[in-house]
Amino acid sequence: MILNPVDTILSLVLLSVLFSFGSSQLPGLIMVVGFQGIVASIVPLFIGHDMTAGGMIFTFVTLLIRGIIIPMSIYTVIKKVAIRREVEPIIGYHASILCGLGLIVAATYVSRQLNIPSISSYTLLFPTAIALLISGMFLLMARRNAIAMVLGYIIMENGIYLVGSTFSARARHIVEFGILLDVLAGVMIMAIILQNIKQTFDDVDTALLRTLKE
Amino acid sequence: MVEIIFLTPFVTGIIAFFLPRAIGRQLLVGTGGIHLVLSLLLWKNRPEAFFSNYFAVTPEGLLSLLVISLLFFLISIYTVAYLKESEIQTENIFTGFMLLFLSTMTMVTLSDHIMVFWIAIEATTIASAPLIYTHRSSASLEATWKYVLICSVGIAMALLGSVFITLAMGIGNVDVPLSFSALTTVAETLDPMWLKVGFVLILVGYGTKMGLAPMHTWLPDAHSEAPSPASALLSGVLLNCAYLGIFKTNKIMYAAGLGDFSGAILIIFGLMSIVAAATFILKQKEYKRMLAYSSIENMGIIAFGTGIGGIAAYGAVICMIHHSLIKSSLFLSSGNILLGYGNRMIQNTGDLVSRMPKTFVAFFTGFAGISGFPPFGIFIGELFIIVGAFRTGHYITAGIFILTLGVIFAGFANQVMKISFDDFNKSDSNTIIQIKEKASLVWPQYILLLTSLILCFFMPDTLYQTIIDAVAAIGGGLK
Repeated sequence: MILNPVDTILSLVLLSVLFSFGSSQLPGLIMVVGFQGIVASIVPLFIGHDMTAGGMIFTFVTLLIRGIIIPMSIYTVIKKVAIRREVEPIIGYHASILCGLGLIVAATYVSRQLNIPSISSYTLLFPTAIALLISGMFLLMARRNAIAMVLGYIIMENGIYLVGSTFSARARHIVEFGILLDVLAGVMIMAIILQNIKQTFDDVDTALLRTLKE
Repeated sequence: MVEIIFLTPFVTGIIAFFLPRAIGRQLLVGTGGIHLVLSLLLWKNRPEAFFSNYFAVTPEGLLSLLVISLLFFLISIYTVAYLKESEIQTENIFTGFMLLFLSTMTMVTLSDHIMVFWIAIEATTIASAPLIYTHRSSASLEATWKYVLICSVGIAMALLGSVFITLAMGIGNVDVPLSFSALTTVAETLDPMWLKVGFVLILVGYGTKMGLAPMHTWLPDAHSEAPSPASALLSGVLLNCAYLGIFKTNKIMYAAGLGDFSGAILIIFGLMSIVAAATFILKQKEYKRMLAYSSIENMGIIAFGTGIGGIAAYGAVICMIHHSLIKSSLFLSSGNILLGYGNRMIQNTGDLVSRMPKTFVAFFTGFAGISGFPPFGIFIGELFIIVGAFRTGHYITAGIFILTLGVIFAGFANQVMKISFDDFNKSDSNTIIQIKEKASLVWPQYILLLTSLILCFFMPDTLYQTIIDAVAAIGGGLK
């Protein structure tokens, strides 16, 4: 089996999933998110053969937002709140890496079973997308640090974007751009909330956010 | 041009950020009035949208739009009086986001493109998050955090579901615009497996926003921490907007011959929500949270009715309209109670009947309406749903449904009696009611309740026909 360039990049993304599960340093996690964002925005260009001027500009804007602006906005937050290390996670880092390995195997197996015709030439595309999606959800559930949870949400969004872009360019660029703006605005709002959480509770541990319950 | 109806509040919302208090308040009411006029014109003329690929005027959208418009106008009048009584420091931000919230919700009702619909729903989350954080307390921060994170993740699921529907189109070799209405006409040619996966994800996604159990955890926090006018909007119309997404997808499922599949899932989620609401309402200590759980219950009822179909689907739409009218009036009344007693706990209130008689009338009537007492609309809606359930042979689920409604009524009644008639002497420090019941603090509730009452006895033909048109697409109707 010969890997084409797309699959080569995607294999790196799969590795980055493992890295994100094992990393306790937030800046490293942000780098991973940025890398995944860049890949997620470039890959559709190779698949859709959408080499028109409009397509190129759209890809560039996506890359700018997903790969640079979104990660940078979270990076600014951790600089402001001065928290670099994560708080103790709910699921430990070693256990997380093991979960990550299992997840990649499962994602590959499931995508083999599904056999979607339009993307069968890219072996790793669907597995990577699913792995990103689920690893984002995993971080949301397994981490108590609010910043790591937001990063989990961004990883999940990247995964969905990768799934979406694989199924042809059915949605117009203007629509995709709308989705992108929504995600950006959502992340910005989350960044503001993160800063407020830090100011109010002097930490970003979500265990502190437990006053409202029955 | 259809789009002007959501562009107007968008523009005025942006302007409101830069205006001083007094003008901002007038702008809020003024925009509400213009919006209502535009909605009525839209209802009457039903024009084509300018960007017809993305927007369309549909019967179910029109119903929601009219409810949004009427509610917002009345709530904006209340808001002005509320803002005068309460101390909100960043009032221009509050009014600005109220208007943006109106704009995004209007966009939801008019969206026809699947992805544009998603964009609009996510935009409502973004526009309403600052409203919940208005009071700048640690509890409201927590509520906002939960709201934004849970809803964003949930709605991301709906995006994935929408993507899978495009996959169902790709496999079925269907080439139509990616809109709900176009997909409904070609539903049979879509790949059923991916359509089902898409539906489940969309139900989970928009269901999170609608407040269906077990994804409802953000809802009581957000509704109790937001200022009352915002709570009234969240509960009265935002939940309907999310339901619209499920309704429209269910239309595709029904047209594809998968109505039984989608119906069964809707029934399960609906019953779960009603049962969850019942367990939490019984021992509820805060009145705004109690109202929030009642919203979860009503969303459950609507999902349940939609799932059963036939006459029950008609009942569900009736419940949706009347729930909006009555629940928003209840939240506004709860705002008066909060202003008056300065406390959210039920045990620190009491003797509402003699201390705030006008609010008491609105609150108690609203309670009777929301519990399904005749002559209010929820009674008729629930009756249709129960009849529909028995007709289609759902005896056990209908039994659970009726039983749980009884439990909720008991819990709700217990708390409302405490608020209304218990002696109020527990907190000696501020036994004096802090506000006067001005007309604009009670009349919006009266009008909302009166509208609900009138609609039971006299429903205009055009409204009746629109409801019938809306539910006909999922096999519902008065047969």
